[in-house]
Amino acid sequence: MKKLIAVVEDEPALRENYAAALSRQGYQVKTYANRRLAMQAFLTHLPDLAIIDISLEDEAEGGFDLCRELRALSAELPIIFLTARDSELDAVSGLRLGADDFLTKDVSLPHLAARVAALFRRIDALRRPESSAEIVRRGALAIDGEKMQTTWKGAPVTLSLTEFWIVHALARNPGHVKNRQQLMDAANVVLDDNTITSHIKRVRRKFQQIDADFDAIQTVYGMGYRWVE
Amino acid sequence: MSIRFQLLLVALATLVLPWAGCQYARELETALRVAQENALLASADTIARALSAQPQRVFPKPDDQAFDAAQGDIYVFPLHSEPLLDGYRDDWDVPADLAPMASSDRLAARLQAGMTDRYLFLYLEVDSDHFTPEPSNSHAASGRFDRVDLHLLRPDGTPAAYFFATTAPGLIGAQSVVMGANGVARSLSEPRIQAYWLQNSEGYHLEARLPLSLVGPRLWVQVTDGSSGARAGVVPTDPPQGGRLFLTTPGLGELLGTFIRAGTRATVIDSNSLKLGEAGELHPRDLGEGPGPGQSWYRRFMSVDTSRWPIASSTPGRLQGQSVSAALAGQSHAEWLRTGSQELLLSAAAPIVVDGQARGAVVLEQAGDQLLDLRDRALHRLFDFTLWAIGVVVIFLFGFATWISVRIGRLRSAADSAVGNDGSIRLSMPESASADEIGALARGFERLLARLNEHSQYLRTLGGKLSHELRTPLTIVRSSLDNLESEGLREDQRLYVLRARDGAQRLQSILSALGAAARVEESIKQAERVSFDLRDLLISALGAYRDGFPDARFELDTPPEACFMRGAPDLVIQMLDKLIENAVDFCPKGGLIGVSLSRSSDHYAIAVRNDGAPIPEAMLGRLFESLFEQRQGHDDKPHFGLGLYIVRLVAEFHGGRATAANAPQGGAVFTVMLPLI
Repeated sequence: MKKLIAVVEDEPALRENYAAALSRQGYQVKTYANRRLAMQAFLTHLPDLAIIDISLEDEAEGGFDLCRELRALSAELPIIFLTARDSELDAVSGLRLGADDFLTKDVSLPHLAARVAALFRRIDALRRPESSAEIVRRGALAIDGEKMQTTWKGAPVTLSLTEFWIVHALARNPGHVKNRQQLMDAANVVLDDNTITSHIKRVRRKFQQIDADFDAIQTVYGMGYRWVE
Repeated sequence: MSIRFQLLLVALATLVLPWAGCQYARELETALRVAQENALLASADTIARALSAQPQRVFPKPDDQAFDAAQGDIYVFPLHSEPLLDGYRDDWDVPADLAPMASSDRLAARLQAGMTDRYLFLYLEVDSDHFTPEPSNSHAASGRFDRVDLHLLRPDGTPAAYFFATTAPGLIGAQSVVMGANGVARSLSEPRIQAYWLQNSEGYHLEARLPLSLVGPRLWVQVTDGSSGARAGVVPTDPPQGGRLFLTTPGLGELLGTFIRAGTRATVIDSNSLKLGEAGELHPRDLGEGPGPGQSWYRRFMSVDTSRWPIASSTPGRLQGQSVSAALAGQSHAEWLRTGSQELLLSAAAPIVVDGQARGAVVLEQAGDQLLDLRDRALHRLFDFTLWAIGVVVIFLFGFATWISVRIGRLRSAADSAVGNDGSIRLSMPESASADEIGALARGFERLLARLNEHSQYLRTLGGKLSHELRTPLTIVRSSLDNLESEGLREDQRLYVLRARDGAQRLQSILSALGAAARVEESIKQAERVSFDLRDLLISALGAYRDGFPDARFELDTPPEACFMRGAPDLVIQMLDKLIENAVDFCPKGGLIGVSLSRSSDHYAIAVRNDGAPIPEAMLGRLFESLFEQRQGHDDKPHFGLGLYIVRLVAEFHGGRATAANAPQGGAVFTVMLPLI
């Protein structure tokens, strides 16, 4: 059965472009222009994945509200925020509401498709009882590439999809400096320097919530970042 | 001219007050003078009328012929005490000079007559170079010697003749000439008539005393010089002419004294202008009350100009002037006279009319200075107060002007510095709380600045807003291109899509550059401070720049030891990026970019020098403003003048500052100072 993706976006051209691209990937896509229409549909039938814009028509934060309501309906449903807003605060609040990823509209359609596929893959992996063998271990860090799950000293670290891919790219080759471009490529995203910096910052903070002494991600000034064991 | 001096000039207008005061003083003086004239004239009229009613007390003799000195008429001064017979005149209380006697022979002789209750006194001065004494055996009528002859009519009208001559100077008696029975004149000693003969180098003085019982209405005096035979004076003719004695009327002075007040002199004159009697004295000027230097200074400004008034020309014994002539013509008249440089005299004359004819006049005189003193006392205090008031007004105005100009100056310097070098705008102005026009001006400035600030705020956020608003349509373009590519394009179609994608990419980077400052501001809000080694950071970053900009040569100069500071290393890196980008842009190909880190007592200084052209002085201060862009770009990267603004934002976040200067060895140096802590 085709996976159902809900696109909630008030800009019709964009909405249709996303729908077309995702349909081409073999998904069934339903589009909604605002929160009310989307919520009506979700109450009767939940999609398998939701892509939500933050500002919806006359509601500047309508996407956040929708995310909150949707998360109340289903804990596992992957939610991707796709927005023209790129402020740090929006990203933090979006992820805190339980979104799996936070993307700016700079993202290209192939990147978006890759991300959607990855999220579905994770859902599938999570449903399979036994874990596959693709687990990367770096000291206290364990990364499950299939389920896209990260643990530090045994405790799970909840990372967004972008963050996961950044950590994955760094940890796969410890000691190697990954510059920003490499990290962006790994995360299937086009971001500016500032955004990479704030992603790294967020990742560090998440690890530090588990282990205050965490300092495995090192900044190489002017070049990039590296994982040290 | 500053406001202060403009107002000071305006303050000079208050000098019109003392000028007006002077005008008022003159008016007052004139009015007082007229009043004084009228009062004095009224008094003179009253006295004249009173005297007209009893003419016998004024004019005891009916004789009214004109006084004629050439005929030997003699005016007799009243003497208040009897002079000593000593040949000297200093005990005569007559201020007048002696009257010259008529002479056809050039014999200079002078005569004065005086009278007391009992005696008639004569005083003679005769110039004679040779003294010819009387020979001891002389006979009265004959012989040549210095002699003085007196001819007179006795009170009963009978004629008599006497002469003075002496063998030696000293007290002598007169001799009367008597016709002897033999027809020869003889001289007889007349002891009742005494004289003193005083000889001196010029000639001789004779002071003679005659009892009034011997003297009638006429007296002739003749002087004969013994050596030359020259004569002066007159002898009686037949019928008798001249030689009249013009006497003051006895008792008239006392009568006048009952009419007048102190400070007024009253004189009665006959139709010959000769004084018949006088009473009262003008107040002699009391030196203690004279005008001080200040007072006379005022007087110069306040007084009516008196310099053209006639000078009093009266001589003792005789009054003259316009008022006297008018009164003798039958008209009362008053006039002002000058008696000295400053002293004034008011003279009022009224005719004494007897039988419809003016037989004489009453002349009242008063010192005009009394009036001036009175006026001065009132006015010069007023003048003092006015000057004080003007001084106070001027000082107050000057202070006020200073205050105003200080306030305006404060406003002006605030306006000058309202827009800072870094583009920051100060919104509050001094004086804006004042209710006056200056306060309104300050508030007007504040409104203007507020609008300017809004405008520059808008400009500053415009980049961020634009980049945000354009992002959606750009995404539509790009996602459409993505879709188009997925449709399977022909090779030639793919080329156009590629070009469109390239354009969209460039648009993207423009938007990204536009929003750069907004993003830095955003990350500054989120920034956390950590302790890091600035030297380490620079070394590491320089490595990256060497790779990133292969066309430029980099030199790094750091202290040997680690340079720890607290701050946001990410932001510092971004700041460095902008500084290096800026340096590379201005550096010729293959040029040198020198980066140095130095440490002073309270801050680190990161200096980035390039080999490029120097920066115009006027631009140096403004380089770090938002959206300040003056460069002639020689690359295809978009520039919005935000790079150095970001440098400034980061420096300020760390409590430091950024400056630009031209290096002495050429090129420009951008320096960022970061505090040690």
